[in-house]
Amino acid sequence: MLLVTAGCGPTKPPPLGIDDAARALDAARNAGAATYAPLELRNAEERLSQARATADKHDYAAAQQFADEARVNSELAAVKARLGKAREKVEARTRENAQLRQDLANNPATATETSQP
Amino acid sequence: MTRAAHWVALGLLAAGAVTAAHAAKHDLDYERLRASLNELEADPVLGNLAPAERALAEQAVQALANDSGGKQMRAYRLYMAERRVDIAYAAAQAADQEHRLEALDHEHDRMLVEASRRDAEQARLEAEKQRIQSLAQAEEAERLRAEAEAARAQSEQDAQAAEAARAQAAQTKRIADAQAKEAELARKEAELAEAAAADLRGRLQNLRPTRGAEGMQMTLDDIAFAPGQAALRPEAKASLGKLVGFVNQDRSKPIRIEGHTDSRGNPNANQLLSQKRADSVRDALIAAGVAPSRITSIGMGASRPVASNDSEEGRAKNRRVDVILEDH
Repeated sequence: MLLVTAGCGPTKPPPLGIDDAARALDAARNAGAATYAPLELRNAEERLSQARATADKHDYAAAQQFADEARVNSELAAVKARLGKAREKVEARTRENAQLRQDLANNPATATETSQP
Repeated sequence: MTRAAHWVALGLLAAGAVTAAHAAKHDLDYERLRASLNELEADPVLGNLAPAERALAEQAVQALANDSGGKQMRAYRLYMAERRVDIAYAAAQAADQEHRLEALDHEHDRMLVEASRRDAEQARLEAEKQRIQSLAQAEEAERLRAEAEAARAQSEQDAQAAEAARAQAAQTKRIADAQAKEAELARKEAELAEAAAADLRGRLQNLRPTRGAEGMQMTLDDIAFAPGQAALRPEAKASLGKLVGFVNQDRSKPIRIEGHTDSRGNPNANQLLSQKRADSVRDALIAAGVAPSRITSIGMGASRPVASNDSEEGRAKNRRVDVILEDH
């Protein structure tokens, strides 16, 4: 509906999605995007401020597009942060498990001994 | 996100399927993103993950087919579709990593459980080892105690054995001493007996005929007899040659054999003993071939002493047997 009305001009009152985009940006920051996805985070910030700027100029169609673009950038930043964290955890856990496996291999207490009286 | 999906879906509905298919013909961006999504969906691991993000990406890519709204709308749609495809990839990769992490966590837990099981087993083995060691120590102590006890008993036994051996040796020595003494006594007795026999033989050999009131006679003194006995000693019997020669020098003469005793003891007994001794000499002469018809043997008792009965020497002379070769 919005896409359809966007072409009709900047006269309608704006449920532009700027607030949603701002919340998405907060969520991305909280997810650690500054560390794991700084480029996407910056894109999101730029798009959000452009959305606000164009909304101030009553160019609602452009504002809405900027808000959408800000939100997907925030979403992308958040999911990349999630991916980066998961990768780090996998690496750490892999090292820990390797160490544990080695410790167990070096400890010769085996199940066969338990059957001895 | 659901709202975004809504918008894309609504956009697609508005654009219509015919225009979408038409616009996609020569759209390189669309084909690039389409291929990228297809690759993601075909990925054996990622293709099954993040379905919601993939659906959103799918819708965003389909929205590219809508060429309404001019160039700027086109750039907006492309931008959104690219980000959506990126999000679909990243979400699928994140889910994959999270699945791996879950598996690693499970493995981690299993190994921790195994490690603690081994620790417990190790502790159990250690405790068992210590129990066995202390058992072995107790057994060793008991063994040493038993050895000490055995050694003590053995030394006691050895002492007893030594004492017994000593006593046995003393006993053996006593027996040997007694046997030696006995042998010595026997030897002395034998010597004495031999001396007595030699003495007797000597006396019998040295018998000399003397003249008596009734004719020539020989006198056997009492050592020819055992004390109180009537039988001649065996040695005396063997040495009667002189006596036999004496009585046979004249075989026409009768032989009178008189037994005498000393005056001690019962007169009847003395008479009887003197008679028996006279008979013994008679029997010996007969055995030596002297004719019995010539011989008379008489017991005289103590009635005819030849010496005083007051002294041992006199009494010894009185105990005698006279063998008389009678003149008539």
